Amino acid sequence: MAERIRFEEVWKAYPRWAARTLRETIDRRVPGLLGGGEQRWVLRDVSFSVSRGEFTGVIGLNGAGKSTLLRLAAGLSSPSRGRVLLPEETAAILNLGDLFDLALTGRENALTTALAAGVLARRARALMPEIIAFAELEGFEDAPLRTYSDGMRLRLAFGVLAQLAPDALLLDEVMAVGDVRFREKCLDYVRQRCADGAGVLFASHSLDEVARECSRVVWLEAGAVRAIGEAEAVVAEYRDAMHSETRARTPAPNGPSGEFELRRNRFGSQEATIEHVELRDGLGRPVSEMTSGGPLEVSFVVRTAPDRPVVAPIVGLTISRALDGIGCYDTNTVNDGLAVQQIAGERRFTLRFERLDLIPGEYFIDVGAYEREWRYAYDYHWHVHPLRVVGSSSDGGVFRPPHCWEVGEPAASSTARS
Amino acid sequence: MPAEFAVAPPLEPALRPAGARPLRPRAFTALVLHLTARQLKSSHHLTLLGWGWPVARQLAQLAVLVFIFGNVFDLDIENYPVFLFVGLMAWTWFSGAVSAATSSVLTQRHLVMQPRLPSSVLPIVAAMVPLVDVLFALPVLVLMLALSTGLEWGLLACPALLVLQLALVAGLGWLVAGVSVFLRDVPNLIGVALMILFYLTPVFYDRSRVPERFRWILDLNPMTTLIEAYRSLLLGTPGPGIVRLAVVAAVSVSFLVLGHRAFTRLAPRFADRL
Repeated sequence: MAERIRFEEVWKAYPRWAARTLRETIDRRVPGLLGGGEQRWVLRDVSFSVSRGEFTGVIGLNGAGKSTLLRLAAGLSSPSRGRVLLPEETAAILNLGDLFDLALTGRENALTTALAAGVLARRARALMPEIIAFAELEGFEDAPLRTYSDGMRLRLAFGVLAQLAPDALLLDEVMAVGDVRFREKCLDYVRQRCADGAGVLFASHSLDEVARECSRVVWLEAGAVRAIGEAEAVVAEYRDAMHSETRARTPAPNGPSGEFELRRNRFGSQEATIEHVELRDGLGRPVSEMTSGGPLEVSFVVRTAPDRPVVAPIVGLTISRALDGIGCYDTNTVNDGLAVQQIAGERRFTLRFERLDLIPGEYFIDVGAYEREWRYAYDYHWHVHPLRVVGSSSDGGVFRPPHCWEVGEPAASSTARS
Repeated sequence: MPAEFAVAPPLEPALRPAGARPLRPRAFTALVLHLTARQLKSSHHLTLLGWGWPVARQLAQLAVLVFIFGNVFDLDIENYPVFLFVGLMAWTWFSGAVSAATSSVLTQRHLVMQPRLPSSVLPIVAAMVPLVDVLFALPVLVLMLALSTGLEWGLLACPALLVLQLALVAGLGWLVAGVSVFLRDVPNLIGVALMILFYLTPVFYDRSRVPERFRWILDLNPMTTLIEAYRSLLLGTPGPGIVRLAVVAAVSVSFLVLGHRAFTRLAPRFADRL
């Protein structure tokens, strides 16, 4: 089958020290030259190809080489060994922060991008209305780019890309900033290009999205291809590896301590621990029971040894039903756009639900603190903290949103008969 | 079905190494013009005086130099203001272009990071912007010429010299722009060199005033010859002669070729270093 993107035994190294001044050169390069020079290998022997019509996802942890892979494909950087081959008509959106001149308007920036892709001046100008329309930036096209939100920047970049009809498309983790509807529009466009024969390389952190959208997946680990194949299978394999990573890092239990027992209801490396988990009512009093539709606070402390901080942890909470283990709600600090810089010592987290409309029944509140990339859990309490929801309703399902019925007037009998 | 009715398979795009995608000359020119226009616009559009600034700057420098070397240390050169202005315009373009080129790649990360944009346009744009700025003062120069020596036919031959200087500036620009990314001392070095060169180029004095034994130092500098040539075309002063012009032409073209070579060799590694 016809190929659109091909990596042939690609290796990429960066010098560990980039000498920029004479001083640095003398300090670092000279010993480097004598000792052979230190190199950091970011990609190791990567070979794969993307055929026409293939929407290929790239997954892997930060630092696994996803961005480097795409930079090489975009020609922004050249491989140390091996070859990267693409068609002439290749378009890429790699990093929205780098792409535009913030002092100039959206229209001027779009024009630059189009001209850089080899579109001639007159045609580029003629395309401008279509670009603005696709980007849904009417009324903002003459505002300077610094006034644009991330979402608007993405729309502008995509608006230009959509007019170029590229044979290969490179997307690095950028669509995360768009709103859901525009994201869908972008994906629609990408699918359409695929159907028309383009090849797509798409790096993402969102495993769900990769599993849903991509036909194939390349899984990078420490710069090498760990797995490549049908999307859902590779994503499942990747997820398994993450879970087993947590299990592997959970220390052996030395007898149950209180309600917890490691490897039974508590998992994680214990570099950070979750303690003093408390459920509270609207007045801040500890409870283990609440009324359906009432307020609830979940509060706990994440603790590390003061001299061994954890950087950028993710803290999450899951509510599941005791009866069947069904997941009712799941949230975390990343989803809510909350960045925790680091935890050194103790840090209290409190999650407030103004109202929690769970169907009456027994539930568990599971809390977890995770490594910044979800590689494994620091600590995870599984089915330790029960919550009973009481109420008079015998509705089915898992949640009971506030609602009311309205029944229309009975229809006139004459109408009913006819 | 006869073969001629068979549907041809769609043309498959050929694969080529990533990054090696030179633009066609027309597209390259369009890009240079667009980037030059946008840079001029962004440097002038928020100022009150706008496009008047480049002219004001040059006239201010002219006034100071005329005062010092026309009145304080009288160099006794005929039509000194216009003599000086010709040299000053040529020099302003040269030094503006070279110093802008040194930082053209370093400071325009957003353009280097455009996957399709050939970064070799950047030093060219850096050369074009000060040219436009200098040309804004052209009406002033023409007026001064008309009022002093009168207009010579040589004015029409000036574009040939401009092309020669463009080759020199572009070649130098490519060279310093590329090297600056890897050796960040280069922009400082160029700044110092341009400052020294301003005095070692006959901008505000005449080459013939320099003692014979030092003259070779000035002659190493192609700008010496170019400024003399501009003056001879516009003011009718003695020119550098065809031999020296030919040497400068050869030097400029070598710089152009060498600079372009060096730049294209270094360009694939820019994004890693910014």
